[in-house]
Amino acid sequence: MKPFLFGLLVIGLLAWAPLVLNDYGTGLLLGLTGYATLATAWAMFSGPTRYVSLATVAFFGIGAYTVAVLSETLPYPLVLVVAALIGLSVSLVVGLATLRLAGVYFVIFSFGLAELVRQTVTWYEVNVTGTLGRYIFLPLEARHIYWQLLALLVLTLLIGIYMRKSRIWLALVAVGDDEVAARHAGVDVTRTKLALFALSATIITLVGAIQAPRWTYVEPTIVFNPTISFLTLVMALLGGAGKLWGPIVGAIPLFLLFEWLSANFPNHYSIILGGIFILIVFAVPNGILARLETLGQRRKGEAQ
Amino acid sequence: MSEVLKVDGVSRRFGGLLAVNNVSFAIEPGQIVGLLGPNGSGKTTMLNMISGALKVSGGQIAFQDQLVTGLPAHKIAKRGVARTFQLVRSLPSLTLTENVLISAAYGRERLWGAAALDKVAENLALVGLEGRGDEPVADLTYIDLKRMELARAMVADPKLLLLDEWLAGLNPAELQIGVDLIRRLQQRGITILLVEHIMDAVRATCARCIVMSAGAVIADGPTDQALADPEVIRAYLGDDDA
Repeated sequence: MKPFLFGLLVIGLLAWAPLVLNDYGTGLLLGLTGYATLATAWAMFSGPTRYVSLATVAFFGIGAYTVAVLSETLPYPLVLVVAALIGLSVSLVVGLATLRLAGVYFVIFSFGLAELVRQTVTWYEVNVTGTLGRYIFLPLEARHIYWQLLALLVLTLLIGIYMRKSRIWLALVAVGDDEVAARHAGVDVTRTKLALFALSATIITLVGAIQAPRWTYVEPTIVFNPTISFLTLVMALLGGAGKLWGPIVGAIPLFLLFEWLSANFPNHYSIILGGIFILIVFAVPNGILARLETLGQRRKGEAQ
Repeated sequence: MSEVLKVDGVSRRFGGLLAVNNVSFAIEPGQIVGLLGPNGSGKTTMLNMISGALKVSGGQIAFQDQLVTGLPAHKIAKRGVARTFQLVRSLPSLTLTENVLISAAYGRERLWGAAALDKVAENLALVGLEGRGDEPVADLTYIDLKRMELARAMVADPKLLLLDEWLAGLNPAELQIGVDLIRRLQQRGITILLVEHIMDAVRATCARCIVMSAGAVIADGPTDQALADPEVIRAYLGDDDA
């Protein structure tokens, strides 16, 4: 009961925050919640299975573009539903085709997918619709967007908590450890991977769709920017992709750091980002949370 | 129901190599059958086809009077075929309990919660790992990993157990423990097909042996007869020693 009440209190405080914060503060909280959700959703599939996906921005962009295209023809809630369905369908098709690929081949493919989607959208806009760039005029303020993202983050975490108590988590970790052993224990490996990839991709699509009105103007280079995939990955790895809270623990310091870097070193931003990426992989390969756990155990061992 | 397993004219081709050539045999309930033969004779390929890890190139496999030819491995596992691997396959990020639990959770009975954990504890005790369920498998010794694999196979209450050189790599003392364990499983009425190179262990456990050479069955019968068959001796030792 205690963690439940504590959780409600934290959610309440976070939901109340934009009412007292200024525009900059709300914007910061919005961006942070967006990345926390992206990283948590990414780790939902890639954490236990260790299928490192760089397709995050493909789905994020699909979500954003769906809103850009449909926002004037359909009511907003329906646009979100359509975006989620498109994300789900694309992820199922892509998943069926690619989840047989192992290790680095999957990484490369997922990166290629993001580029493919971006180029296809660009081509379509230039050659068919004759526009490159669309305006989104939705009567949504920053705090409205933030509240939606917060709700999505809470939902994602609840799914994560539920998953860790059910047998599917065991199957996912087993897939990451040894697919053959999992299969012969009775796990339908293909279906398990596909289901989680699609769930994770649908949440990522929704993040893109919800955040889209924030830009007002979107074009493929903005919403399909590969940096989004890399940032999501680094955040999840820093906190620990295998832990429920890991991606959020990683997202908070990195998001703030990236905000500061892009404001102060706009030209050297990506070089510094690369350096940080390398440092994280070397220093905390299993994430901060796992590192803290081992330190805690060592201290306990010394105390005895 | 007559046979647990019926293999009928099964072949497997890898490119130009015929690894298993028109093999037929049947196994009755409760039997422990040894599948022997020199390296490369097609034993593991045969096990892989029965457990669904490999597709057959020709022929049919029936499990409990139902064709399972072409079914994926997880479906065959769910019907009650469990196996161990020539090289132990553990799930190193999980505990001992979780390594066994997965097979209870996704096996024939799809157990979860307290019932599943009880079943896991019972099977860990069966293989001599009682009370050690919380240990990470990454810390286990070789024989304990082998025990874990056996517990993982047994927790799903399989109708047929396939052991692929489960005794290989054990020292003499451990070997005795392993042989005793297999006998204990037999007393539970389980049907076992085991690939094995250690002849003493085969004699101690198997009443019947099927011997393969170059992909074909060259002898099938009571263990002593099968091992004394001149063709079997020739396959193992070559013509000069026969």
